[in-house]
Amino acid sequence: MANVTGWTGKLLRVNLTNGNISVEDSMEYNKDLVGGAGLGYKVIFDEVPQGTKALDEANKVVFAVGPLTGTTAPCSGRTNITALGPTNPYDAIVDSHMGGNFGAWMKFAGYDAIIIEGASKSPVWLKIEDDEVSIEDASGLWGKGVIDTTHEINKIMGKEACVAAIGPAGEKMKNLASIVNTVNHSAGGHGGVLGAKKLKAIGVKGTQAVHIAEGKNQDWLDLNEFMMTDIIGSNNQHVVPSTPQSWAEYHSAGSRWTAQTALFWGAANPPVETGVCPAGDKNKVGLRTQKAIFDLGPVAEERTIKMGGCYSCPIRCQSNLHVPELEKYGLTPYATSTCINFSSPGTAMVNGYSDEDPKGEVALITKCLGSRLADDYGIWSNYGQLPRDFRYAYNSGKLKEVLPEEEYNSIDWSLLEAGDPGWMLEFYNNLIADGEFSHLLDGPYWLDKRWNLGKEYWDGAGNNVWSKMAFPKHHSNEAGAQVGVLVNIMFNRDPNSHTHMNFIGAGLPIELLKEIAGEVWGSPDALDAPKNYTPMNEYKAKFAKWSIDRNFLHDSITLCNWVWPMTVSPQKSRNYRGDTALESKFYSIATGIDMSEEDLDLQAERITNLHRAATIKEMNTIDMRNEHDTIPNWVFDVDPDMKPFTEGTVKLDRDDMQLALTMLYKEYGWDEKTGAPTRAALERVGLKYVADELESLNLLP
Amino acid sequence: MFEKEIEDFIEKVRTRRDFLKMSGKGLAGITLTASVMNLIGCTKEEPTSSEVPTGAAAFVIPKGLLVAQPNRCTGCQRCEMVCTVKNDGKIHPYISRVKIGRSYNYGTKMNDNYRFENGYFGNFIMSPETCHQCEDAKCAAACPQKAITQSEATGAWTVDEEKCIGCGACTQACPWNMPTIDPEDGKSTKCILCGECADNCITGALSIIPWEKLEAMLLRRGYRLS
Repeated sequence: MANVTGWTGKLLRVNLTNGNISVEDSMEYNKDLVGGAGLGYKVIFDEVPQGTKALDEANKVVFAVGPLTGTTAPCSGRTNITALGPTNPYDAIVDSHMGGNFGAWMKFAGYDAIIIEGASKSPVWLKIEDDEVSIEDASGLWGKGVIDTTHEINKIMGKEACVAAIGPAGEKMKNLASIVNTVNHSAGGHGGVLGAKKLKAIGVKGTQAVHIAEGKNQDWLDLNEFMMTDIIGSNNQHVVPSTPQSWAEYHSAGSRWTAQTALFWGAANPPVETGVCPAGDKNKVGLRTQKAIFDLGPVAEERTIKMGGCYSCPIRCQSNLHVPELEKYGLTPYATSTCINFSSPGTAMVNGYSDEDPKGEVALITKCLGSRLADDYGIWSNYGQLPRDFRYAYNSGKLKEVLPEEEYNSIDWSLLEAGDPGWMLEFYNNLIADGEFSHLLDGPYWLDKRWNLGKEYWDGAGNNVWSKMAFPKHHSNEAGAQVGVLVNIMFNRDPNSHTHMNFIGAGLPIELLKEIAGEVWGSPDALDAPKNYTPMNEYKAKFAKWSIDRNFLHDSITLCNWVWPMTVSPQKSRNYRGDTALESKFYSIATGIDMSEEDLDLQAERITNLHRAATIKEMNTIDMRNEHDTIPNWVFDVDPDMKPFTEGTVKLDRDDMQLALTMLYKEYGWDEKTGAPTRAALERVGLKYVADELESLNLLP
Repeated sequence: MFEKEIEDFIEKVRTRRDFLKMSGKGLAGITLTASVMNLIGCTKEEPTSSEVPTGAAAFVIPKGLLVAQPNRCTGCQRCEMVCTVKNDGKIHPYISRVKIGRSYNYGTKMNDNYRFENGYFGNFIMSPETCHQCEDAKCAAACPQKAITQSEATGAWTVDEEKCIGCGACTQACPWNMPTIDPEDGKSTKCILCGECADNCITGALSIIPWEKLEAMLLRRGYRLS
């Protein structure tokens, strides 16, 4: 194997059909595709035949990380998982992602990636302890939730092992199933794929080092210190506090930098005051984001034991809570989650909460209960679309229509009507039962085929469905006008892409953000003020491309795109400028390869193109503009009494958005009519072999 | 309030610091009560009930007091990174001289009641395990090469790599299994009180209070250290 640093240089290939386990050179992938998602896309593009469906034996699941994973660079704990995705109408390539410890543990065991191929006839789990890798019998684990499964494997491997597992949802090959490591760090959409392969879990433990370039230890420590002192902000790289503080020139009520005097981790022993955490104080970065009150309201303060999070991350966005009320429902008095996995159970409370307070105690208990059940059952919320689909079906009467009478009557709807947290048990238990209700886990495309949801489902603004591609929007037109839309059309599931949103929400005044936008993307016109949009221009296309490419880079290297990139900083002494070359600086020291910002961005663009090419191959069309890059009607039809590009609305214009697509295609050098990469575009980013393959399939414009 | 606890604490610190200056010998860690944590600025709240150990501990080192507080540890594991990059030129949590990753899931012991006990699968509490710098260090006593001795400068029990043969007796002898043999070079690693972990802790779960600052804090409350 190649002698490398940063990477381990090795990947594991596990064939569940014939039991073969082999170690291969990972640098064949990493050299030009960084790792993580880049590695995953190459495996899928090269090895999975056109026409394969997500649950077929021929689908492969690639758990992959990059040269920074396990180095403890700030926010470098993520694992990328690539496979064909069952929620997508074309079973097209998707990534799922999870934080926690798993990615770092893979590196400490000596592996950059694990490729799972084939399918087992009986339940198995994969045991990895440094060089000792084996396929173990999982018949005793099948049927167990994620937590029990993990614990049983820890009893075998030792308490230090990190386990990624599927729950009953994945076992039943549900589309909305997740893979979960370390209690609540879940990757959504591939749980059913592992279920089809009868792979219950992967347990990893290692004693090896992650190396950086020779003689570079002080440089590494200095770069970490620089980032921790001058550059990093809080969750989502919000760089101003949420309250006025003497050290801060600016503040913003919506900022996730919630730390302030007399705001505590109230259930810590003794309680920990978050206090004033000024920019420049590296020993308080972990206190900046009291996320529990941000997600669940002031009632969460006294229940916050601490803020947790992923390996190496100084931001700590997972609220670890003490919720003794959960014991009444048969759970332990603890809960942990963040963002959508707290809010999503709340969306299923169609009639609100019994205390009528959307940010009150009953809401908190409900959301904690729901998140614990979802994480143990291995259910993916599909970025909140699952409870929205339930709401739609319930409110429209569709649910009553499609559920057999006996099943409908077996469900205790009174809990839902009363706003009782106990509804969470009904909701999640019925999702993993085998009745008609469980088809809510099919995802929008397949659910509509089965239940015939109607036009209003697809076109209704509050329902968030992103066109016929059938995933929910994720920071779209409400996040940077055309830029957000362009980010959303690029993917085959809801885009876990926050580059643009982090910048837009950073908390600095709009004039300052526009100034910085001008420096990074060519003109202040790249960024519109919120709800005050302007027609498309080429700088917005550059902003969108940069956002997309950096997101693919982060999924490959790996870094958390909910914090990175460092486009801005909290330091007035830096005029709030960040350092957009930081990824390449960390990459250079870790690998010993002198990589400039531009060269690393080219690798990112290569990865974007490979994702695009794989998608074209799977959809068997080059007409991406009309078949893939589709935009829902509600983007244009919301606020019917208002015109686009007037203050107060986020609605956009159809012709303007087609122009936006054209401008984005132009930035990538893709065919301007179809949006398909041309041979020239692919060769420019070093993907000649991909152009050859697409040409042989008649899929080049 | 809690005068006795505070005076006991100051006496322990004074003794250890004098000892360190005189002989280069450090003494074992001091467990901290809530009143002491309040005294040294680790918490703002004055404790109101009788003293319950917090799990926090302090160690006298040449620069000052090294304090470990489990209530602040978020499990980021950055301490393990800086320890091994500083001292070994690589990221190698397995041999880190401060240990947190191994108790992330279940605390220091995994048992059937794990859903209610320390660790992320239970009550979320986890604490960086630091070397206790024992007065009668078992690791030193067990070493057949006499490779572990107290540093004159820091008082920390330190491995002499020239003498170490990687037999692992130190690991077995330590009641907390803190020393670890590096699989890459066959040498034992253990805490040498360099302070890098505390210098980089993101919440102050590990921190160093310099002597000057400690003396000033005590003086403000009417106590003297020297």
